[in-house]
Amino acid sequence: MSAPSFKKRVTRYFVPGILIFLISTPLFSQILTDSQKDRENIFIARIKQFNEFTDRFNHKSDFNGNPTDSAFRAAMPREKIITLLFDLKDPRIHPADSRYSADYFRMKEAFISDVIRNKFSLNKYSPDIIAEARTRVIYKGKPQQVRLFLIQEIVGNNSVKWVLNSAKGDILNIFKTDTSMVRFISPTSNETDFINLRRALEDTEHLQYYATQDFEPDLLTLFFYFIKSGIIKYEYVEEVVYHIIDIPGWYLKVKEFNRNELNSGWLITDIARNDYGINEFIRNLK
Amino acid sequence: MLKKILITGLILSVNLWVTGQETKTAVTSKQAKIIDEINLSATDIELFKEQTKQKVEEFQQYIVTLGSKDEPQEKRNMAEKEALKLFYKGAEMEITTILPDGMVQKVSRPMEKYLARLKSLPYTKVIIKFYDIAYIREFTKGPDGKYYSTATIIQEFTGFSNDDIIYTDITKKEVEIIVDIVEDKFYKEKRWKIFLGDIKATETRMSVS
Repeated sequence: MSAPSFKKRVTRYFVPGILIFLISTPLFSQILTDSQKDRENIFIARIKQFNEFTDRFNHKSDFNGNPTDSAFRAAMPREKIITLLFDLKDPRIHPADSRYSADYFRMKEAFISDVIRNKFSLNKYSPDIIAEARTRVIYKGKPQQVRLFLIQEIVGNNSVKWVLNSAKGDILNIFKTDTSMVRFISPTSNETDFINLRRALEDTEHLQYYATQDFEPDLLTLFFYFIKSGIIKYEYVEEVVYHIIDIPGWYLKVKEFNRNELNSGWLITDIARNDYGINEFIRNLK
Repeated sequence: MLKKILITGLILSVNLWVTGQETKTAVTSKQAKIIDEINLSATDIELFKEQTKQKVEEFQQYIVTLGSKDEPQEKRNMAEKEALKLFYKGAEMEITTILPDGMVQKVSRPMEKYLARLKSLPYTKVIIKFYDIAYIREFTKGPDGKYYSTATIIQEFTGFSNDDIIYTDITKKEVEIIVDIVEDKFYKEKRWKIFLGDIKATETRMSVS
């Protein structure tokens, strides 16, 4: 293989050098001037794809997407790289801001320290990475939002695909809560061949009270039915947010920040302790 | 080049694994093996990444020709036809526009319609300034046996009417890349070919003075 061109060498070593300098200064999160060179630097520093987020989190790739080498790792230790994966404009991490949260700041520090100490890395094909697609649908002529939760599924050991796991949305909440009266199918109605089933099923807003105590409607099935029957019309995905519960004991929320700054692209916007498995996690997600 | 592609195809068919190892303690060796098998080898990645860059650049050049009314009609029609050949059937272009006042618009069109519309825009000349950088993620195998990746590129688009700039934006594009086996009828051989898929474009519209 021929030696890399001068241009390639500049991109490989010089540009990251400048970025490391810029990123290491307190001015990191501030807007740069609007020259093309600055925009290129922003593009390089920006976490352009979720895949790049996982590679940087794992200290696997540098700003250009190349594998990290010892020089890069020395200049940008993993702790620093993970710090830069957070939204640095989050007021909760700035002591001077009125919205500063000492608890959140400490939690962020504890997370980074836990990841470094245990050498945790993200498995990019983990089923514990949940992509939430906030979709726009038309229901009764009006735009509404349905949140679809997708996870990755390994197929036959060597290929992967995203699959729908569940759905949430106001229009999928088809039942109303009413505790003013007790609704039930009487204990002896079996003897009358459940004649009173008609009355129960005419109570269409509160059918859930006639189901078992642990009944939970399957909202994804309901969403499929709404789509199939034309009750709702799918339009497009408005936004994607990732919920990561792959790091033992932790939850990370990652979303895209489209801004003309070095700290942009797919960034951690929230962090919390987590012990839930995937289904329980999604069920409890606000 | 053909030989290179054929060799790559052969390498792929025997499922070579990449050497990168995950460090996470929670990742079992079985999971690590799966990850290795899902991804292509470093050699394949480099080869496909290079070809991906070429395809994306080719597409951008066609956009310049298509959008410039000063170019001969025949050349613009040819550019439209050739641009479509780069894409996998059914590919869509979804454009999110961030307006100067911060408002966001989203429009999705089949690639055929997107290209036809581009041809009808009122620019006499189009300049696309390419940044000499792109991010291409690794290629991941889908259940259909094809390999998938995404390239992120950034460009500055300027539309002229005669000598006046009438439109300018900075666009970030996420381009889906599909590596599929196609039959070369001339050589009667099967080989890997790179296609472009859906494109998500985010335009930040600049105000024109």
